[in-house]
Amino acid sequence: MNFSKLILIMVTFSIFFVSCTNDDNNSDTPLGSYDNGFLILNQGGFGHNDASVSYVSADFATAQNDIFSVVNPSITLGDTGQDVGFNGDLAYIVLNGSNKIEIVNRYTLKSAGAISTGLKNPRYIAFANGKGYVTNWGDGGVATDDYVAVIDLTAKKVSTSIPVEEGPEKIIANSGKLYVAHKGGYSYGTKVSVIDATSNTVSTTITVGDVPESMEIKDGTLWVACSGNPSYVSTPLVETAGRIVKVNLSTNTVSSTIAYSDATKHLSNLVLNGSDVYYTIDSDVYKMSASATALPTASAFSTTSQGVYGVYSFAVHGSHIYVGDAGDYTHNGKVYVYALTSPSIGSLEKTFSVGVIPAGFYFND
Amino acid sequence: MTLRKLLFSLFALSCQFVSAQNDYINNLKEVVVSDRTLYSSNKSQSIQVLNDSVINKNQSSLSNLLNYNSVLYFKEYGRGMLSTVSFRGTTASQTAVIWNGINVNSQLNGSADFNTFTAPDFNTISIKAGGGSISYGSGAIGGTVHLSNDLVFKNKFENDLRLDYGSFNTVGVNYKLVLADKKWSTQLGFSRNSSDNDYPYVNQYTWDGVQRKNENGQYATTNLYANIGCKVKPNSVITFYSQSSNTDRNLSLISEFDSKTKYVNTFSRNLLEYATTKDRFSSNYKVAYLAEQYQYFENIESKDFSFGKSESFIAKMDLGYKITDFIKLNGILDYNRTKGFGTSFGDNTRQIGGIAVKAVEQHNEKWQNELGFRKEATTDYESPFLFSLGSSYKFNSFYNLKFNVSRNFRIPTFNDLYWETGGNPDLKPESSYQVEVGNVFTYKKFTLSETVYFMKISDLIRWAPLDGSNWTPENIDRVNSYGSETNLSWGNSYGKNNIALNASYAYTVSENLETGEQLIYVPYHKLNSNVSYSYKKISAMYQFLFNGAVTTPSQKYHLVKEYWVSNLGAYYDLGTKSTYKIGLQALNLFNQNYQSISQHYMPGRNFLINLTFKF
Repeated sequence: MNFSKLILIMVTFSIFFVSCTNDDNNSDTPLGSYDNGFLILNQGGFGHNDASVSYVSADFATAQNDIFSVVNPSITLGDTGQDVGFNGDLAYIVLNGSNKIEIVNRYTLKSAGAISTGLKNPRYIAFANGKGYVTNWGDGGVATDDYVAVIDLTAKKVSTSIPVEEGPEKIIANSGKLYVAHKGGYSYGTKVSVIDATSNTVSTTITVGDVPESMEIKDGTLWVACSGNPSYVSTPLVETAGRIVKVNLSTNTVSSTIAYSDATKHLSNLVLNGSDVYYTIDSDVYKMSASATALPTASAFSTTSQGVYGVYSFAVHGSHIYVGDAGDYTHNGKVYVYALTSPSIGSLEKTFSVGVIPAGFYFND
Repeated sequence: MTLRKLLFSLFALSCQFVSAQNDYINNLKEVVVSDRTLYSSNKSQSIQVLNDSVINKNQSSLSNLLNYNSVLYFKEYGRGMLSTVSFRGTTASQTAVIWNGINVNSQLNGSADFNTFTAPDFNTISIKAGGGSISYGSGAIGGTVHLSNDLVFKNKFENDLRLDYGSFNTVGVNYKLVLADKKWSTQLGFSRNSSDNDYPYVNQYTWDGVQRKNENGQYATTNLYANIGCKVKPNSVITFYSQSSNTDRNLSLISEFDSKTKYVNTFSRNLLEYATTKDRFSSNYKVAYLAEQYQYFENIESKDFSFGKSESFIAKMDLGYKITDFIKLNGILDYNRTKGFGTSFGDNTRQIGGIAVKAVEQHNEKWQNELGFRKEATTDYESPFLFSLGSSYKFNSFYNLKFNVSRNFRIPTFNDLYWETGGNPDLKPESSYQVEVGNVFTYKKFTLSETVYFMKISDLIRWAPLDGSNWTPENIDRVNSYGSETNLSWGNSYGKNNIALNASYAYTVSENLETGEQLIYVPYHKLNSNVSYSYKKISAMYQFLFNGAVTTPSQKYHLVKEYWVSNLGAYYDLGTKSTYKIGLQALNLFNQNYQSISQHYMPGRNFLINLTFKF
């Protein structure tokens, strides 16, 4: 009976067809404490479900990648990490693609729950009046369903939502008010919304300029970096130059604007540090005095010698400048640490390999 | 007997199994196939034919049929979702799907989604490995998949009805009517395959212990087709093929709270053909109109969608002349006008004119030589000069040697050229040189074919963030692919016992020359086999598939592990004169947890009942 033998061989053969690769276990053990250093949120590839968090100690001696998974192996952080907000001992990690916020202890990274309903395309988070405020695009293609979700931090639930104009992006809190930059989502915004955290309503909107990208508040003044419209806008829009707009928060009116005249200069990543202002254009880092009345034409230094295509994330903290480089957006990204002043601004001090698309720095000190 | 055993264990030990070459036995006098020269003019390359008996034993999606029966490697985003192919280590847009002789790859993204095709809608499905741009145009680099409706010119009235019901509320209705006489032949059909597709993920739980399942994975594929032929004269046939299809799918979530989105693909394909022969002359005229559309719903609850659409008009004239009894020359002129428009690109029209010359010399019964050239002209980009040269020599009944060298291409798609923002109008076509040597051994009831190939592909189009944030496609990558394909088939009868074995194995190296790495989602090894057995009215089939590990673009989940899946089917025919067959299939018999694309789990063990009526 030849054929029965054949079947036997076939079946045996297929059953014993063994695996040739092992599970790719992450053998790293939790450090226990992720204090005295900074966290880096790595966005991950869209649709890859591989957002991650990295840690680097303040003395740069210790670094660990994928620390959320190391500490919480049974939880998948999610898709497209967008922002991290600190409130007390907790860190709120906003996952844009997964429509959720993972909550962890900011020092141990141990999971402390999640918020997974009431969010749609969540972007950035801020805290005021004992509540969390999260900007949401709703459906990206729909201009009228954007909102700010108000989070009951005790119940870990969205308690209410505040409809806002299209494309709410960065949000910051100051004296019981929240300022929402409408970068525009799928289109190009020009405004900042002001939300009263007591009544949870939009009290006013301020027109600042094309594509408000980042904000800082200092001494009653809101600083807004507007990128300007990019080169690829379609008519009737045209490409516009980046500008820095200052808003007087007692009157909610624009008090001054300084802009580039060259429409191809698109600035982002505004940071106030002491009496200085920092921002980036493409791969270059700019520095000017907070009292300057014109934007500098020359950059303080360039990151191109590190091969940075464009500064993806940026921070100024202590005596260092931090730059996140997304590289080709596919492979693991890099973090470059530069000196702020000594020996000279922009001298490279450290390089770290982090996760895919490092999207932000969060200082744990 | 000993030799057979020896051969067999030799193959088993060396893992060189699988694949199956089903004999293509068709009485060509009675049957008109839409692509007449596929088999006769391509003897220097290997063509695997799956006939309707194979098609009917398999699951209805084309993706499943080919996955278990050929060397093609599939990338499926969960069961029933988008499914693209990699053939000989090439990309999804480097394999062309040929519907009744016409290239139907998407004009928008260049590839074909094999889950939008329903296999039982076709009479034969052929897989031609290797370059074919001379005859089939853009995308015929790794190979071509031919979907054919064959029209029969004899008195025939036949109804074919297949009903499927399976796990996850999977429902299939496939109906075909054939009505023919010696002058007219008509084929009408309808199919609808749908599923709730809410399968649990094997051994996957959320952190708080809830069983994970496939959410938002519902799909329904509906096809309608009509194919009509008329023999106006004994040697002149007019045929008309028409197919409309709609695939409505939600997209499976990768985690529980993702936004629920859906995709609707619609296709309309129409082809009118006139073929005639007289003395030494033959001529073939085709006009075709193809339309494709996708609609993407960012929110399944909403009516808002973004879309892309293309409409193509194709005209083709093929004039043949037999210079001698052994040499046939064909001159081909074709014209393609495609209009593409949609949410993310403006209204663009592309016109392509092509000229080709093909020569087949049948030196004698043993030896055939094939030569072809093709050049296209278009305003959008510079097209390479394409050629193909091949030879097939049958030394004896035991051994057939095949050799083929060709240059092939894949043109930039509408997305590549016109996408807003990022589309790059200055792209060149991707092009490849390819050489292959095939050996076919036939011994008693064994057929073993072994093909080795080497392919050099340049100007691969890749989207990259060239200045930091603006993604744009460029002709960046160069790839060398090489490997081997082994097909083995064997069948025999022992009294009333019939047994058949088909097995195929592909070894594929596809190396990006810049990085030195294997391309993502190309496995080094793919193995599959089918064993079927019948005794009187009972038949059974065991299918086995092994896919080697592949790398993914994700850094964190960099590997999709290798997996093997088995299916078992048993069938019983209740009919006497007609066929009333009941079948039961256990799919993923050993309940393996596996993924084809990272983060997209495939179902565990599940069941399918089929009823097949032929009357």
